[in-house]
Amino acid sequence: MEFLQNNSLYIVLIITIICWLGIFIYLLNLDKKIKKLEKDIKNN
Amino acid sequence: MVYKIILGIGLTITIIAGLSFPMVEIPRFWYEMPIVPGLEDKARIIFFHVPTAWVSVIAFISSLYFGIKYLRNSEYTNDIKSVTAASLGFLFCILATITGAIWAKFSWGTYWNWDPRQTSIFILLLIYGAYFALRSSIENEEKKATLSAVYSIIAGLTVPFFIFIMPRIVASLHPDPIINPQAKIHMNPTMLIIFLLSLIGFTGIYIWMFTLKVKFSILNYSKKMKEQE
Repeated sequence: MEFLQNNSLYIVLIITIICWLGIFIYLLNLDKKIKKLEKDIKNN
Repeated sequence: MVYKIILGIGLTITIIAGLSFPMVEIPRFWYEMPIVPGLEDKARIIFFHVPTAWVSVIAFISSLYFGIKYLRNSEYTNDIKSVTAASLGFLFCILATITGAIWAKFSWGTYWNWDPRQTSIFILLLIYGAYFALRSSIENEEKKATLSAVYSIIAGLTVPFFIFIMPRIVASLHPDPIINPQAKIHMNPTMLIIFLLSLIGFTGIYIWMFTLKVKFSILNYSKKMKEQE
């Protein structure tokens, strides 16, 4: 905490990473769903 | 495809510039930004936190738009678009809340202090949380789409109030850079360009995620319909 207080650039870095992770997890989830749909369509 | 490559490169440049361009007392070179008194490097959050809130507003408003379109023509794709926009808006709203709370910890000393901004975004999260609860509680597809279209219109109408009006009625510690005439952050052209690029980049990412999800949902829906036949 003290490190972050003295080096506030890293707080912004954490914030950027959270934004990126949110988008990434969403896309990962969507990718999983698309794969499942692909598989279902193939099997039918 | 070209737009996606430009988007990727543009956002990468924006992130690098936003994080690494030096903040100095009096900017002399094109890449220098002015120091924001009291915020210092924490002011850089504006390049990442504000676009997430911006995207959630765009998403909620587009959810309202597609809700109206659905009520006018009962086209199922409009329902899909409306719910996709609302879910993406919800995601970006959560991101804005988390990133804001982390910033608040280091600027205000606590993650959460019910500042008007925090309160209004919390209420928005509740409103849209209820939207998804409503959708999952109705089994009949048509009824679900109609009711949620009506709800998305009502919910969308409250968005400008909670994002733009309420935080200005009640005294807040939140820095309101470009929109507020008594701006607490004075942006020089470099800062403004990075900020606008970030807004455009995040909007582009939103449009990309939106079209992907809509394509998926339409395929899924037609598959379901075929199975029922």
